[in-house]
Amino acid sequence: MPILDIHQVSLNFGGLKALQNVNLKIEEGTTHALIGPNGAGKSTLLNVLTGMLEPNDGSVMFDGKPLLNVKPHDINQLGIAKVFQTPAVFPEMTVLENVTIPVFAARDGSFRMNMFESSSHQRPLIEFAEEQICELGLKDKLHVRADSLSRGDKRRLEMAICLAHKPRLLLLDEPTAGMARHETEQTIELLNNLQDGITKVIVEHDMNVVFSLSEKISVLAQGQIIAEGSPDDIKGHPKVIEAYLGEAQV
Amino acid sequence: MNIQQGFLQRNKAVVIFALIALTMPFWFPLLGGYSGLDTKIMIFCIFVVGFDLLLGYTGYLSFGHAAFFGIAAYTTGLMLKDFSAQIIPAIMVAVLVSTLVAVIIGLLTLKRTGIYFSILTLAFAEMFHSMAMAMLQEWTGGENGLTGMPTPMLAGIKMQGDAVFYLVTLVAIIMFYIAKRIERSPVGLMMRAIKCNQQRLEYTGINARKYKLLTFVISAMYAGLAGALMVVYEPFVGHEFLGWHQSGEIVIMSVIGGVGTLVGPMLGAGFMLYFENVLSVDLGEQWLLVLGFIFMAVVIFMPGGFMEALSRLYKRIKQE
Repeated sequence: MPILDIHQVSLNFGGLKALQNVNLKIEEGTTHALIGPNGAGKSTLLNVLTGMLEPNDGSVMFDGKPLLNVKPHDINQLGIAKVFQTPAVFPEMTVLENVTIPVFAARDGSFRMNMFESSSHQRPLIEFAEEQICELGLKDKLHVRADSLSRGDKRRLEMAICLAHKPRLLLLDEPTAGMARHETEQTIELLNNLQDGITKVIVEHDMNVVFSLSEKISVLAQGQIIAEGSPDDIKGHPKVIEAYLGEAQV
Repeated sequence: MNIQQGFLQRNKAVVIFALIALTMPFWFPLLGGYSGLDTKIMIFCIFVVGFDLLLGYTGYLSFGHAAFFGIAAYTTGLMLKDFSAQIIPAIMVAVLVSTLVAVIIGLLTLKRTGIYFSILTLAFAEMFHSMAMAMLQEWTGGENGLTGMPTPMLAGIKMQGDAVFYLVTLVAIIMFYIAKRIERSPVGLMMRAIKCNQQRLEYTGINARKYKLLTFVISAMYAGLAGALMVVYEPFVGHEFLGWHQSGEIVIMSVIGGVGTLVGPMLGAGFMLYFENVLSVDLGEQWLLVLGFIFMAVVIFMPGGFMEALSRLYKRIKQE
C-alpha cells in the first residue's frame, strides 16, 4: 500500500484549473520528485497535502487516513512535515528554542501543554532537541539566534525542526532555490543522508538535484500528470520535452 | 538550565519586585507620592503584566483591553452594592464575567492580525463603553458612574488604606510570579513562536489559534482582576474605565517600559502614574504634551523602552 494516495484531485482558482484529476501514489521510503514548468501546479499540490488548500474534488489518503478537511497542525501531527522554499524558522529565537518547539509538539500534541512546568527543566526533551541539531551540523550554533544564521544553516535548522517531530513524510518545496552551487550540493548530501524510512516528496527545478535524489519522478504540466517513471524514463520522454520546450517558445 | 538552582535564584525578579513593592509605603512618600497612589500603581502592574503576555509575547496589540478592566469593575461594583460587601465573591464573579467576554471577543477578533485585530478590539471596547453610557445606564449610572457601594470587606477587615495596599500588592506579586511561570513554560515558548512565525508553528503541529485565544483570555483575566481591585481600592466605577483612553494608557505604559519583558511594563505603569499624578502638578495642563514627547523619544531612540536603557547601562558599567 502506498503511504500517500492522491486520487482524482481537482482544484480550480476561479476559471483556472490548477489541478485536473491528479492521481499519484507515493511508495513508503522512496524519494519522489515532482517536476514541471512554471505554473504546472506543483506547489498547489503540496499545499493541498499540507491542508493549506482544499481541492474541489478528489481524495487524499495518508497511511489509510483521509487528509482533506484536516487542519495543517493536525496533518503535521499525523506525520507530514513541510520544508518551505524560503527556509521557515522562528527568527527571533535561538536554534535550540526553534527545535524545542516540535519536540514539545510531539510530546504534548497540538494543544495540551502545561502552563506551569519549566521548559528548560525537561532534560530528556532538551537533549533530544540538541541531538537533532548536532546531527544536522549546527552543534556550535545552539544558542545563536536563528535570524543571524546563513541561508544554508537556516535550511539545516528548518530540517531539524521538521525532523524533530519524526515525520514519516517530508515535503520539500524547492529546497535549493536561490542557493549557490556548493550550498545545493550540501543540501543534496543532507537529504541523501536523512535517516532511513522517511518518504520524501520534492518539488524542484534544478534537474541536477532531481536526478541525484529521486527514485521516481512525476511530471506535471497544466495541472495534469503527463508522465511518471524512473529518472531514466523521464530524461528522454517526448511529452516531457514537449512540455518544457512548449513553455520556452511562449 | 541547572535543576539545582534554588527557588530564590530562579525567581530573582519576583523576589526583587516583592521587596520593592512591599516597602513602597516607606519610600514612596519621599518621592512625593501620596498614599493611595502606590495602591493604584500596583493595580496597574497587574493589568500591564497580563497585557504584556499578549502584546510582548504573541505580538498582538489589543486596543480594547479597557473592556475587560471596565466590565470587571462594573461587575464588582454591582456585586458589592446588590449582593454582599465581601470582596472575594465580587472579584471572582467579576473575573469570570470578563473571562467569558474575552472568550467571545477573542474568537471573533483573533481571526485577524496586525492593525485589523487592533481596530476590532477597539471597536468592541467602544461598543461596551456606549452600552454602559446608554442602554445599561440604569445599572452603570451612565455619565455619573456607579456609586453608592458599601465599604468593601475581606472577612472582618474593612478594605481601606493600608489593608487595600497590602492586599493588592500581594495579588500583584502572585500574578507576576504566575506570569513568570507561564513565560518559562512550553506555553510561553509557543506564545513567542506565534510572534515569530505563525505559519511555521502551524506546520510544526501546534494549534496556534488556540494558543492565541488562551493568551488573549489570560491577559483579559489579568485586566479583569485589576478592574475588580480598582473598585476595592476606590468604591466608584466611571465610564472612563471602559474608554479607549484607558486602553491606550496601557499600551503606552507597556511600550515606554519595554514590551516582552514583563518587568518593563510594570516600570512603565509606575512611571506613568507617578508622572500623571505627581510631576504633573508642576507642569499643569501641559503634562500630556511632555508625556507625548517622552513617548516619542522612547519609540524613536529606544524601542526597547526603559528595559533597553537599563540593559545598555548595565553593559556599559560591565565594560568599564
